[in-house]
Amino acid sequence: MTETMVWLDAVEKSYGAVRALAPTSIEIAKGEFLTLLGPSGSGKTTILNLISGSVAATSGKIWIGGRDVTHLPSNRRELGMVFQNYALMPHMSVFENIAFPLRVRKYPEAEIRKKVNEVLEVIRLEGYENRKPKELSGGQQQRIAIARCLVYNPDLILMDEPLGALDKKLRDQLQLEIRRIHRTLGVTLLYVTHDQSEALVLSDRICLMNSGKVEQIGTPDELYFRPRTIFAADFLGESNILDVSVASNGEQATLTTRSGFQIEGVRTSLSAPVAKVMIRPESLMVAENEKTEPNTFKGLVEDVTLTGGVVDIHVRLGDAETINVRRLTTRDFRMTERGRPITLRVKPSDVVVFE
Amino acid sequence: MAAMGKRTLKRSSLAEHWFPALGTVAAIFGYIFLVLPSLIVIPMSFGAGSELVFPPRSYSLELYRQYFQESTWMAVTGQSVKVGLATMAASLVLGFSAAYGISRTDFRGKGLLTVFLLSPMFMPHIAMALAMYLYLSRLGLVGTTYGLVAAHTLVTVPFVIVTAFAGLRYVDRNLELAAATMGAGRLRIIWKVVLPLIVPSIVVASLFAFLLSFDEVVISYFISSVQSETLPVKMYSSIHWEISPVLAAISSLLTVLSFGACVAMSLLQRNDQ
Repeated sequence: MTETMVWLDAVEKSYGAVRALAPTSIEIAKGEFLTLLGPSGSGKTTILNLISGSVAATSGKIWIGGRDVTHLPSNRRELGMVFQNYALMPHMSVFENIAFPLRVRKYPEAEIRKKVNEVLEVIRLEGYENRKPKELSGGQQQRIAIARCLVYNPDLILMDEPLGALDKKLRDQLQLEIRRIHRTLGVTLLYVTHDQSEALVLSDRICLMNSGKVEQIGTPDELYFRPRTIFAADFLGESNILDVSVASNGEQATLTTRSGFQIEGVRTSLSAPVAKVMIRPESLMVAENEKTEPNTFKGLVEDVTLTGGVVDIHVRLGDAETINVRRLTTRDFRMTERGRPITLRVKPSDVVVFE
Repeated sequence: MAAMGKRTLKRSSLAEHWFPALGTVAAIFGYIFLVLPSLIVIPMSFGAGSELVFPPRSYSLELYRQYFQESTWMAVTGQSVKVGLATMAASLVLGFSAAYGISRTDFRGKGLLTVFLLSPMFMPHIAMALAMYLYLSRLGLVGTTYGLVAAHTLVTVPFVIVTAFAGLRYVDRNLELAAATMGAGRLRIIWKVVLPLIVPSIVVASLFAFLLSFDEVVISYFISSVQSETLPVKMYSSIHWEISPVLAAISSLLTVLSFGACVAMSLLQRNDQ
């Protein structure tokens, strides 16, 4: 097992009768990129505030770099923090902003100069030392804020929706930049966002939060392909949730949807007679031959939307059942126009059964 | 129907057009009515005679010469400046500390404490003067400069607190949290982050505190002695015993001083935004 950098040990936070965070235990390995993902009010910002020391835990312990910091003030926790609104000192130049943590640590002037220049090179903003933050674009300001954290090599860097105030192009650019910095410098990063695609792009592991509790924690792959709950399936990516009845022989099951379609050979140990299953729209294939065989659905195209690189096809299977299919956009996507019959095929291994 | 609609439209546009204009005219006249008496002393101060008349029969700088050459006037002016500066310093330290503490922490009774700290603003000066007189005489501070500074500080602190609140509201709390996570302690955060960002409020609060103290009559009249007399107290007593035309010159100087300070404050506040 790798070295643990952060350990939340049954940490809980309540405001009076309102519980913002149920007792939660999370470990972050040294050099790991962990993302707290969830809707607003899910407790992800509470965890961040608890770690940064801006709010005190109601119970439980917080360890950073092997030290119990539960009762230490923010300035003695050896952290770096990046904010959505950058939080650069408006009265200081770029140089002084980045030098601030070094001056706090009483570095000699020559070393401050050397370190600031090094880190400006890492974020590719050499030559901006004497500008004021106001004179920079949002993306540049956020890079300065990141540099300000890198320069003193803290145990852990917290990022609180750092790309939330930027437009899409800049966001994509800075995502790659953050990923590059994380990979080359090996810093431990705790990232907060409500944007699932950002979480998937950046993280080593994602901790999905829902109403003050950890819903699921795992690699992006695990969360995407093996969500444990409907909430997880729904929050990351697109999903079709179907009600099925289950005929099980212990290891494999045959599922029957409400409109009578059957999926055979699904691996599950489920013994309940009914269940919900999830199928990703992109794992459904449009079948060319229209033979009736197991693991196919037949329906009518209800709507087709072109969203850019992909086409979403909404298919009605029966009175109370629809399913969405996602295909790459090709010139012949109009072949699936409204009202046409369509046959879809699914691999049993792509069906996720919620137990 | 259409015609009626048009007529009401016309009438309302007439009203819209004239009422603001009327309001402006009324405001200008009201302002002149209020300000004129204090402006009238300015031409009077350039009179040559030995009595206060308007308009002056002939013009000279005689009254200003008298003010600047008479040692008693210079002494009380010096005392006023001294008390004003000391009051300013004391109320800045107390007011900004209180405002920072209150705006950056949460505790029970925070609202009550704020109201309590601001309460001198709503107290009649005469009541405060009497109370301060009784209190300071117990401590043996009546008639001393310390007593005056203490009493003036009580009056000026609420204004400093209000100004400081306004300034602190525009300091992003994340800046302080960022500085703290980078390892800065509370004092460094205040010194390197908060104070540089609220310099305009500090200057405005200083001017405010100084002018309030410099201008204060009622409390000073109760508390000062012959040795610690301030300029306004001396002016007030001299109008009783010897209606000296020098008062016009002093009043003019004070008016110009206040006006200058007000202009400075509004310019600073504009720069702030």
